[in-house]
Amino acid sequence: MRVSTRLYAQSHSSLTVMADTFVATGLLGPGPSTSLLGSSSTTDRLTSVFLSNGLLGGLCVAPTHAQPEERVQELEGVDEPSASEQAETMNAFQPNGLLGSQDANGSQTDTFPSSGISHGSQDDHFPPISDILGLIPKSSRNTVSSSSRSFIPTHIRAPLRATTYDGNTIHIGRKRYVGTTQKTSSAPTQLSNLLDVPIHRLRDELSAATALKSSLSKTTARASEPHKPSSPVPEDTLWVDRYRPRKFTELLGNERVARETMAWLKQWDWCVFGKKKSKKRLLEDDENYNPDDEYHRPREKLLLISGPPGLGKTTLAHVIAKQAGYEVMEINASDARSAQVIDERIRPALESGSAVGSSETYIDGATGGGDNSSGFVNKLVSLTFDKPKNKRKKNDQKDKRPLLRPIICICNDQNANALAKLRPHARQIRYTRLADSHIVKRLREICELEGLRADTRALSALVGVAKGDLRGCLNTLQFIKSRNDEVTEPLIRRATVGMKEGDTTVTSVINEIFAPLSRKRLKELGMGEEEEARYVNRLSHTIEGLNNPASIANGCFAHYINCHRHDANLNHYEKAGEWLTTFDSFSSVMYTDGDFALHTYLSYFLVPFHPLFRERGEKRVERDSSDWDNLQLTRANEEIYKSLANGIRSTDTSSQVKSLQLEFAPFVNRIISPPLRPVNSQVIKPQERALLLRLVEIMVSFELRFVQEKAEDGQNVYRLDPPIDVFVTYDGKRAEDIAVSRFAVRQLVATEIDAALVAKQADAVEKGKEHAKANFFKTSRKGVTENDEAPEPMEVIGGNDELRRLNASSEPGPENKRARTSEKLDIADKPPVDFFGRPIAIKKDSRRSSTSKKVVPDFRIAYKHLEGNSAAVRRPTKVSSFL
Amino acid sequence: MSLWVDKFRPKTLDDLHYHQSLSTRLKSLAASADFPHMLFYGPSGAGKKTRISCTLRQLFGSGVEKLKIDQRVFISPSKRKLEINIVQSNFHIEITPSEAGNYDRVVIQDLLKEIAQTQQVDLNAKHRFKVVVINEADSLSRDAQAALRRTMEKYMSNMRIILCANSTSKLIAPIKSRCLLMRVAAPNPKEMQIVLEHVAKKLKFDLPEEASQQIAEDSGGNMRKALLVFEALKMQSPDLSGSLKIAKPDWETYCHKVADLIVQEQSPARVLEVRAKLYELLTHCIPPTIILKTIAEQVVERVDEAIKADVMHWAAFYETRMRLGNKKIYHLEAWVVKVMSLYKHFMYNFDMADYE
Repeated sequence: MRVSTRLYAQSHSSLTVMADTFVATGLLGPGPSTSLLGSSSTTDRLTSVFLSNGLLGGLCVAPTHAQPEERVQELEGVDEPSASEQAETMNAFQPNGLLGSQDANGSQTDTFPSSGISHGSQDDHFPPISDILGLIPKSSRNTVSSSSRSFIPTHIRAPLRATTYDGNTIHIGRKRYVGTTQKTSSAPTQLSNLLDVPIHRLRDELSAATALKSSLSKTTARASEPHKPSSPVPEDTLWVDRYRPRKFTELLGNERVARETMAWLKQWDWCVFGKKKSKKRLLEDDENYNPDDEYHRPREKLLLISGPPGLGKTTLAHVIAKQAGYEVMEINASDARSAQVIDERIRPALESGSAVGSSETYIDGATGGGDNSSGFVNKLVSLTFDKPKNKRKKNDQKDKRPLLRPIICICNDQNANALAKLRPHARQIRYTRLADSHIVKRLREICELEGLRADTRALSALVGVAKGDLRGCLNTLQFIKSRNDEVTEPLIRRATVGMKEGDTTVTSVINEIFAPLSRKRLKELGMGEEEEARYVNRLSHTIEGLNNPASIANGCFAHYINCHRHDANLNHYEKAGEWLTTFDSFSSVMYTDGDFALHTYLSYFLVPFHPLFRERGEKRVERDSSDWDNLQLTRANEEIYKSLANGIRSTDTSSQVKSLQLEFAPFVNRIISPPLRPVNSQVIKPQERALLLRLVEIMVSFELRFVQEKAEDGQNVYRLDPPIDVFVTYDGKRAEDIAVSRFAVRQLVATEIDAALVAKQADAVEKGKEHAKANFFKTSRKGVTENDEAPEPMEVIGGNDELRRLNASSEPGPENKRARTSEKLDIADKPPVDFFGRPIAIKKDSRRSSTSKKVVPDFRIAYKHLEGNSAAVRRPTKVSSFL
Repeated sequence: MSLWVDKFRPKTLDDLHYHQSLSTRLKSLAASADFPHMLFYGPSGAGKKTRISCTLRQLFGSGVEKLKIDQRVFISPSKRKLEINIVQSNFHIEITPSEAGNYDRVVIQDLLKEIAQTQQVDLNAKHRFKVVVINEADSLSRDAQAALRRTMEKYMSNMRIILCANSTSKLIAPIKSRCLLMRVAAPNPKEMQIVLEHVAKKLKFDLPEEASQQIAEDSGGNMRKALLVFEALKMQSPDLSGSLKIAKPDWETYCHKVADLIVQEQSPARVLEVRAKLYELLTHCIPPTIILKTIAEQVVERVDEAIKADVMHWAAFYETRMRLGNKKIYHLEAWVVKVMSLYKHFMYNFDMADYE
């Protein structure tokens, strides 16, 4: 009886309220207990628990005992194995020698196992709990007889409800099971000497039983896996999360990367935790330390992990940080990433971290930010340099605190532009793709855990498709699991349709359009004749998947003319042309009007190339760059036109762009290549001399030059610059009627041009000086005169200079652009007008003029410094500026 | 200083050599206080721009000749920078919005509003309004033209617009109805000869009668071209005597070659050849419509009467599509294939579709 009470107390030790009433009933006898039952008959769970205590005797058998059993079954979702166990336990329990009254046996054995079932089923459900939590040591399973049944009273999660005598309902949450076990021996012979069995033996038996049970329920033997779920997870979590490594040892593959990361993080220990390194480690890592860093931080204060998606970079960072004892603060792509964030979040975290203990920041997907992130990255880098010891005297020096916590950045593409600033300051670690076999192994383990039958071939196919993306693999598997129990290759193929698009290129898509599917590929995709014939969907999918219809159209355009050469009446080509032009119309409408709803239809315009030009045995399409080359060439030529237009604009303000290509360029080329003889310019005939002069004049005015260059064969060549002669050069040949100007001629012209230019420049400079001198006083005087009589600006503006200039502009004389621009720039030369064209009355002058009107003509007094190094000092200064 | 084309450009309406009736009309318009919006149209090289500048001079005096060239930057809705060259004097402003491509609307809106909202402040100006000259108005996008509509009415007091276009067909009707249409026809050979002789006289040399005749006929009513050819000839053979060989622009000769290729043989291989030539033309910045037009004209000359209409029809068809699209080469080649197919069908005179 002692045992029974003990057990009783143990099994209900969690139910403190209940225990009181219960213990009382147990001691007092059947009367109160039945009354309790009656009062609490509404609480099924209570009765079930109570009933399970068969030790109290048959009198407490409740009429409701069948009901709780059902409830329990319902609650636990009893499945077949547990049902079979029910029978076992029933048998096992029969000779319950402890109970004095055998009469109640029939019903009681029924009820008792019911709780056993619940435990059993629960065991069944969460076999890993015991395994993983290590609640029960599995030391000596072979010593225990298989006949002994054990119940692990795992708590039932549902809260209890009880009604007190006053009719109030009390909800009682069940506490966790603490870890003791309840044991009922099945053999009647053992019952008498129950107490003889030491507790450790009992435990052993128990654990052996559970082990046996779990091994029975699982047909496959489980290997010891490092990544088993550490806690029972509800079914609705993603596998990715469920099987995420949680310990350093669980990390898969890439051990070197993991170790490197760990090593880097460990280098912070001195700084963060104040740990001193062991002598050996210190020596090892010495080269990584800044000798003059008082915080003993590693030289590179940032860690940049890069690698393709889905390999576990983020997990790595988390796991390692946890392992090293850091608290992780994450800023990922979903957070706003601006320079502000650094100030608002990271810095406080880092600084408070120094007081509180340890924190570690890592920034996920650093590449994602686009142009915004550049500010972010800059700030981040500057953060690493904020250290008091750098002796830059800054005002905010006090505010800045050194970076004392490690920061890990994670990105996909370490060469991304946004990271250019970051790279020099970060230790870079590349996360490469794991060996496929490792991933397959891990996947198989997971499949086994999840009860998904998978063969290695299917899994390796999956890994191949996903290109080592572990996350993608797991998601696909979970997706498959939701519908099937078995993973097969076709299933994988079907599930990864979308994934495959990732590795298509323009060339591969074009090949797919122009070549029928190969037999092998057909087999791979598991398609029959009929499905092959249905190409529209398949092709449009592929084209859309690439998301670059324009370049595919280009490829089609480049290639279609090579196919179906035997087509005599060009029907196919006509159709192809129609499709292409339609495609072009649609796409340009889409881009100009911004109507991107049309994008969906674009791919369909390219599909027809498949039926039109499909040909077996064609050689593969190579990438054709002629369109691109031509585009580049066009751009280059446009530039030449622009420079020519600039040259012309200075002389002819009314040149249109269109007429430039069509009329100007060809004729200008002819005009500038007269049949000159290569003779010395001194002995030239007067007629030719005129020609030469005219040529030089034109070339100067168009800003055309002959530039001396060395050709590839080492000869000196005079090249036209800007090279407008390309516009008369088609197919690499110059027009026939244009005489090829020889080197000597060009040389002659070039020297003449240079001479003319020098003369012009000198002229312009002279003129500028002259104007400046002449106008030094003129402007102020003009202001006065205009103020007085407001004459027509055109006439009054100038003296001789001005008139000359007017003449020059009205009747185009032999002036070049340079001279003109210099004139234009000569502000002093212009009438003083304000922005709107009104004449400016200079106040000072007007005041002066009003006071000294009688003294006209006014004195022109200016001071000129005779000494001084710069022109700024030596220039004449008005008296007014001294006043 | 510069080429003869610019050097001997008439400066006033009186200096103009032909279309005298037009000149008198412009003169009287300029004299009246009520100057309308105007649309000058006519073939290239007929003298539209010359007439515009003469009219401006008539309106404002010689002040319009003091020009300055600016580069203004506009920001397109997609934050792209558009650089537009602006030629302006105190009295007028000259823009070529087609430089801005698709975003000409922005240029039109910004610039015109800015000008329209500031009054002429020069008290000595003969007119209170400023004139905006819009070059290449036929390449204005629809949006830009629509933007112009209201501005033209609203700011009539401050601004007049002079449009310059090759043809009115690409301008929307509301614009046309707001303008006084001025057709500047191409000069006939006689008139061109007069101009050529005038130039020769100014330069003090003799221009043989037959030479001027030849030049005038060859340039097809394009005065600018005629003068350029004239100058080129003068440069290459200074005496201008004997048999003159007037050079065609190189792109034109090249287009003729392409037409030959199309007519000679119709096969995929030939299509490929033609494509290379078309690319060559495009890279030389020859406008694709001009390419299509020139080649089509040449092809029409070379083929039988029966399919001439068809060739032209398809040329027109693909020209429209080309305007709508972006990839000009697609349309050009589609047309080439079409013409080849037409020609082949005609030559063999039966439908080969049965033999496919």
